[in-house]
Amino acid sequence: MKRYPCSGCSLLCDDIIVKSDGLFIDKIIGACLKGKERFDQVSAQNRITSPLIRKNNELINVSWEEALAKTVEIIKNSSAPLLYGFSNVTCEAQRAGMDLAREINGFIDSNASICQGKILNKAKSQGINLTTITEIINKGDLIILWGANPAETIPRLLNKVLFSRGKFRMTGREIKTLVIIDPVKTASFRVMGVRDLALIIEPDKDIELIQMLKEECCSADSIPSGGVAGIDKSDLKRLLLHLTGAENGVIILGQGVLQPHADYDLIEELLDLLQLINDRQVKGRISLLLLGGHFNMAGFDHVALSSYGVSGKLQFENKKLVKSEDTIVSKINKENFDCSIIVGTDPISHLPHSLSSKLARKPLILIDNHSSATSRIADVILPTSITGIESSGLVYRIDQVPVELKKILNPPNNIPSDEELLNQLIKKFNGGAK
Amino acid sequence: MDFLLNTIRKIDNDQVKEYSFGNDQSLEENLAISFISPKDFDKLNLVPSLHLKISSKQRNIVVKFEKDDNIPEGTITMPVSIWSNQLTQILEDELVYKNIVVSVEATREPILKFEDVIQKIRGIE
Amino acid sequence: MEIYKWLPKTNCKECGKPTCMAFSLDLLQGKVKVDDCPPILKPKYKKQYEKLKEMLGSEEGQQKELRINVDEDLCDGCGICVTVCPVNARYCPPSLSGKAPEYPPEKHQLFQVIGGKCELLNLEHCRRLDSEGRERECHVCETYCPREAIKIEYV
Repeated sequence: MKRYPCSGCSLLCDDIIVKSDGLFIDKIIGACLKGKERFDQVSAQNRITSPLIRKNNELINVSWEEALAKTVEIIKNSSAPLLYGFSNVTCEAQRAGMDLAREINGFIDSNASICQGKILNKAKSQGINLTTITEIINKGDLIILWGANPAETIPRLLNKVLFSRGKFRMTGREIKTLVIIDPVKTASFRVMGVRDLALIIEPDKDIELIQMLKEECCSADSIPSGGVAGIDKSDLKRLLLHLTGAENGVIILGQGVLQPHADYDLIEELLDLLQLINDRQVKGRISLLLLGGHFNMAGFDHVALSSYGVSGKLQFENKKLVKSEDTIVSKINKENFDCSIIVGTDPISHLPHSLSSKLARKPLILIDNHSSATSRIADVILPTSITGIESSGLVYRIDQVPVELKKILNPPNNIPSDEELLNQLIKKFNGGAK
Repeated sequence: MDFLLNTIRKIDNDQVKEYSFGNDQSLEENLAISFISPKDFDKLNLVPSLHLKISSKQRNIVVKFEKDDNIPEGTITMPVSIWSNQLTQILEDELVYKNIVVSVEATREPILKFEDVIQKIRGIE
Repeated sequence: MEIYKWLPKTNCKECGKPTCMAFSLDLLQGKVKVDDCPPILKPKYKKQYEKLKEMLGSEEGQQKELRINVDEDLCDGCGICVTVCPVNARYCPPSLSGKAPEYPPEKHQLFQVIGGKCELLNLEHCRRLDSEGRERECHVCETYCPREAIKIEYV
């Protein structure tokens, strides 16, 4: 039976068995609840299958020509368009998005820059190893979840990294030690065994733990007898033993460590600690894995790097790439844009009020396949097919491994894929020239 | 009473799922919700018929609550949603999704409706 | 497991079972009674005998059936049970490396994730019931379920 990759989350499980007659999906075997929901979106009741335009505060169905004409009108009337999203589309569509940004002199950024992109760039510049899922399965012996709760965000991750038996580790779960550092006792704690280490840290005290570990790495016996940040001394000693004794350890970082602080940078401190430990390690090493929710979170940096030589956000002026200090947050916060094109995401829901209200004040073009809080505000909605089910393309997994998504069904109403739609828009601006 | 607000992701309270398959009512049902420890539940003198009014410096929301033994005292968690993002903030061009100081009180006011949140975002109070 | 703790653990085979573990399982299922264990009747195990009698109470000796309940509302299809189940591991090699087993399932396979939810396919091959004399008090699926959706019980 043929196996397909799943586009439900950033883990991109490539072992999903799909029974389909070409028109409907009959059965999905192996996918978790999130994956199943992704496949169900094909026939979801809130799916958008025809273009919509807001007139007198109401969304009405229009033809593709009218919707595209309105889109072009909005963009032509603006001098600083903002393109945002691009984490739930293929790399090809990301490339098309960047080309569109160049044609219309816009600013383009992806969800990754407010999420894991921050850590990724710092880790790359410091030379910290990023590991892959396969490597953890095959060689890993220590898994540290720091501010991450994969049991509820990426359901199959723990199954893969912790329970499956690898090539060199035939015993699987028994040889892998799990350490969880989290202020809340999350669902991931329930898979713990007797050898594992559960560290409930006081909220916002991660920095104390990191500084203590750094000190302890340099001089032994500096752990205060009362423990640090609500963690016992004996547990801290065990954590250190695990960190320095692991042959192939991995720290899985979640949203929890992305918390910004006014007076210090938690991520930098953490990377310093990692470097310190890796320098002292004799036989092993500790590497990083970054969790992100959207299925092509990692792709945007790769595409930007290969097409324009920079990672992350791109700012265009006079059809040329220019340097810009702005980030997506400062751009919206300073209202340094006059229309926005949102692709495959829902910023009205996931950005703080101070940003979403500013986004809502300017004309908003939404390219997505189902309704959301953003679709309640959008002036034009252009529907696209569901990537990974109705259209194919290349995407990057959380561990920076490329995976090819496949097409299973035909989209309803022949709606275009993100890539096709963005390319259509590019043609409207450059008059069909390449 | 002051609490630390943490926005977390929960598979049962997933906004993408609600937007795809639900309606305004199920959105309110599953996303306008907060979780507190049983000790804080007692401290706030809560009864199940009440709601919680959670206020940051700028704005406030009214949501349901549930007891959760796994949550430490003094912390209130909410699933990542349009409701919790009315309270999240920005600090020097970065987004603060965790450990936000909020004040929490019991209230009889009805839960903030999805449509009302949208209206607030559009600037129509 | 609780029952096994209170048995003599001598593996004397006087009850006709290969191990005390096997005896404890049968005791749980109501196939045998505490009195069927000859050593425990000796005076030096008197305390343990009383404890066991108290634990089993009036249900002692009543034939019970193994049930593994998978709560569909709680399950999120993470597939940990598919990977950890020793029977699955033995008969479906892909599940060893965390991959989803083939479909249609192998006839010995216990768990399969179908449509985002875990399904119990056939209980009769569970290690608690059928393992060619190596029946075990196995409860890995229950222990490691992060959603606490799997419950092993005797009714």
